[in-house]
Amino acid sequence: MAPPALSVSSLSKTYRTGLLRRSGVQALDGVSLTVEEGAIFGLLGPNGAGKTTLVKTLLGLVHPTGGTARLFGAPAGTPAARQRIGFVPENHRFPGFFTATETLHAYGRLADVPRTARAERIPALLDRLDLDGRGDSKVKTFSKGMLQRLGLAQALLNEPDLLFLDEPTGGVDPVGRRAIRDIVVELRDEGKTIFLNSHLLSEVEKVCSQIAILRDGSLVRQGRVETLTAVERVYDLVATPLPAALREAPDLPLSSAPSGSAPAPDLARYRVRAEDRATLNAVLDRLRGADVQIESITPLRQSLEDYFIDVVDAPRDS
Amino acid sequence: MRPLLGLVLMTFRELWARKIVLGLFIVSSLVLLAVTFALNLDVVEGSLAGIRLFGQDAMPEADANDGASPLTLTRLVVAVESVVAGAAYWIGILLALFASASLFPDLQSDGRVELVLSKPMGRVQALCGHVLGVWAAVAALTLYLMGGVWLIMSLKTGVWNPQFLLSLLIVVGMFAAMYGAVALMGVWTESTALGLIVSYGLIFVSMVLAAADQIAPTLGPVGKPVFWGLYHALPNFTEVTRIVSSLARGAAVASWYPLVSSLLFGGVAYTVTGYWFARRDF
Repeated sequence: MAPPALSVSSLSKTYRTGLLRRSGVQALDGVSLTVEEGAIFGLLGPNGAGKTTLVKTLLGLVHPTGGTARLFGAPAGTPAARQRIGFVPENHRFPGFFTATETLHAYGRLADVPRTARAERIPALLDRLDLDGRGDSKVKTFSKGMLQRLGLAQALLNEPDLLFLDEPTGGVDPVGRRAIRDIVVELRDEGKTIFLNSHLLSEVEKVCSQIAILRDGSLVRQGRVETLTAVERVYDLVATPLPAALREAPDLPLSSAPSGSAPAPDLARYRVRAEDRATLNAVLDRLRGADVQIESITPLRQSLEDYFIDVVDAPRDS
Repeated sequence: MRPLLGLVLMTFRELWARKIVLGLFIVSSLVLLAVTFALNLDVVEGSLAGIRLFGQDAMPEADANDGASPLTLTRLVVAVESVVAGAAYWIGILLALFASASLFPDLQSDGRVELVLSKPMGRVQALCGHVLGVWAAVAALTLYLMGGVWLIMSLKTGVWNPQFLLSLLIVVGMFAAMYGAVALMGVWTESTALGLIVSYGLIFVSMVLAAADQIAPTLGPVGKPVFWGLYHALPNFTEVTRIVSSLARGAAVASWYPLVSSLLFGGVAYTVTGYWFARRDF
């Protein structure tokens, strides 16, 4: 069986500070997680939660004080592990005197990509990332969005299986954000694994299949987005308007939805709180018995942003 | 090997993109042009019959009273090459250190270091690539100036002084030793200014150490061993000038020790830099 794209076990990192390096700041505290191949994995957390430290540890930029991390089975931080990865750091800086093509050749060499492969891939990547025609322009003349796309191009030159993106849409306008998002989804469809570190929760929600939330160096939640954001045993019901008798029935666990318009003028939206499957079916039976036409019923989901805030605002021991 | 060469090339390009290095290149080109076109020698049957500098007669006359020998072709070549070697050693190295001091802190800065260290190469390899790139850029500039002067003077006069080329190696070698101090301060503090202060400070201290034979006997029982300790531990930049001068003159070198101890200092500085660079968190 092939090893997962990324596996982390009890990873810890304490930064030593002070003149004698006696005091320490614990940036990671026993983090364990696994990312399977082909996933888009989103790492979330408030500032100072340890996200960047985790990414840097996986790349070998930071040495862990405990635990292990592996990329495709190889110890993280070794050249062998980095052979299969691409990385777009937050606020990356390329030497300004290079043109875009020279930049890609330079970083392609560092990524051990042969000249023939570079000559083939660079024009294709510039075209794919909407930088065609700018290959001979100096990097110092590029806008933020163009630099982000160039960063993505350098990360893709070695055709990595695992791509780390640290705030890839930071400072990019909505059009640029959408372009980068589309490319990320395309890469996922090509079978690449994406590890996305972002504050833009709406972006994460749109593209990530799995997320993990870090808080104070600890992993507090991990799972599929739709599972984590589902509100337990609360359903969104769209149906024809309820007769008055049912609307006022005290034993019916149903109320009007607080927000969200119905999809058609002859329909209304309700919230159903059912303790179990039997209760839910009983509610539906009573509605049908009263000639209410049901359009749809779906488990209620909260936005990732609401979920995230609930998690990071919760007391530590909850 | 490709990532290492990639970093060598990138660093080489980065240094050559600096205005100060371009300035040194232009000044070197002017020197070469001056030696080629402004210095006209009249050579008659292998002897120097006249010198014209920018069209003016510049041939000094032999002084019959004190018996000084007339200027010969060999003496002229040695004089020109000595001036160039001395300038390349002192001015060249000081300016090359100034131009390159920010390279290593820049490489370690946020947004740059991640791009390099996330590539499939070890940290020691990355450091080697950077250092070799800096050396290569300085060597290219030194070769251009000193090699160019040597070639032009040799072709013009027929006097070939191959020992002068060794002084070229010493200029590059001493730059390499002094850049070790810059690299060490770079990995320790990420400060360009501190790297420059320390490397220039070491050169200043070497001026004092060069007078060790005169100073040490005047010191007390504690000061004396400390002074000699510093003499052996720190680069003897000033004393190496004598070696460069001897080689440029085609003379025998009295002692290679100042060069050897300076290169050892550089070796230790690079070793500590490599150890630190490999252990650091970025």
